[in-house]
Amino acid sequence: MKVTIDGKKIEAKLGETILEAAVRAGVEIPNLCYIEAFGGQGVCRMCMVEVKDGEQKRLVASCTYPITGEIEVQTNTPELQEIRRNIITLLYRRAPNSDFMKKLYQEYVCPAVEVVDPAEKCIMCRLCVKACEKVGAFAISTIMRGTEKRVATPFDEASPSCIGCGACAEICPTGAITVKEENGKQEIWHKSFEMSRCEICGNYYSTLPVKEHVKEQLDNEVSGENLCPSCRRKKLAGDLAKFSIK
Amino acid sequence: MAVNSEQTADRKAMGKIINRYPPERRYILAIMQDLQKQFNYLPKDALQMTAEYVNTPMSVVYSMATFYKAFSLVPKGRVVLKTCDGTACHIKGSNIIIDEIYKTLGIRPGETTADGDFSLETVNCLGACALAPVLVANDRVYPKVTPASLREIIEENRGRRDESTERE
Repeated sequence: MKVTIDGKKIEAKLGETILEAAVRAGVEIPNLCYIEAFGGQGVCRMCMVEVKDGEQKRLVASCTYPITGEIEVQTNTPELQEIRRNIITLLYRRAPNSDFMKKLYQEYVCPAVEVVDPAEKCIMCRLCVKACEKVGAFAISTIMRGTEKRVATPFDEASPSCIGCGACAEICPTGAITVKEENGKQEIWHKSFEMSRCEICGNYYSTLPVKEHVKEQLDNEVSGENLCPSCRRKKLAGDLAKFSIK
Repeated sequence: MAVNSEQTADRKAMGKIINRYPPERRYILAIMQDLQKQFNYLPKDALQMTAEYVNTPMSVVYSMATFYKAFSLVPKGRVVLKTCDGTACHIKGSNIIIDEIYKTLGIRPGETTADGDFSLETVNCLGACALAPVLVANDRVYPKVTPASLREIIEENRGRRDESTERE
């Protein structure tokens, strides 16, 4: 199926989203809540594009719009730039306290605004919630609605299902989720976790429940070794080196 | 002891409500509506039981419970006063009614009296603008409220609560 993105003719698969096709064609569409592994969430609306289907023109979120016909897409019209500037302005107003947002605020030449909370970092992209879901913990979700909406554990208490993996903090574009690490303990979402130590280098690298969780997910088909990612890589490289090519 | 037996009675009542529905995710809202009706709020235990029953993460249930205005996570009064603060009622002096409620009961919108008799909420329109300013106490509608009639309404509803507890 032939689609045109910013004048570039590309071959798209049926049902593929505009964003996916654009990424493949090397066309960049700005977005704040898209990660390839998670698929489109349609949360941030930064990826809005103009779709021309026959005579009809309309604005859609490219991360969730499936391609079903031969369409013409514009990704950077003045109208779209205005939409993006608005989104960044409003997000900055809500959560100005990250380099990520400060940079975008300048890049998009946004008008001056009075910020709501100078200390706030969260831009409500929901990537942390999605990551928690994908890990299989379902410990956090968005609570409340409207301007009071925020990411939290139920009742703002330590969640029994949180394994302290830190995937939420890792994926957060603005560093809004705090992880405290000291003396072999990791604290996140009101909960403290014992950490496991690497057998080789002795560094703390993960929480104990994460190890258990991984074992469960892999039906115990995992080595009993306690290795941090970098020592694991070295060991694997050493193992592979034994297979010499003759 | 007394607290414990009360708790088990509550849990039994919760279980009864929850078990009326098939254990499927799509019944969460219906279950929560019934729980809210029975307890005037959603007790933590009840949410946990619901989550387990429909085999859905607690975070998802909690997200829904906090999303809808119809649910409360703290106990609401036995009588919920809803004053309309829509355009028509506002012009007809709903703010005077809200002030008057604060003077007599000491509660502002979103609050509940210490004795658990009354809660106050404002709503944006009840669709009865000709009757402005309107006040609804549980399901009873009071038209063209004045500070004087408000006192009567409050007394009338205090009595109403007594009737219902006597009947039990």
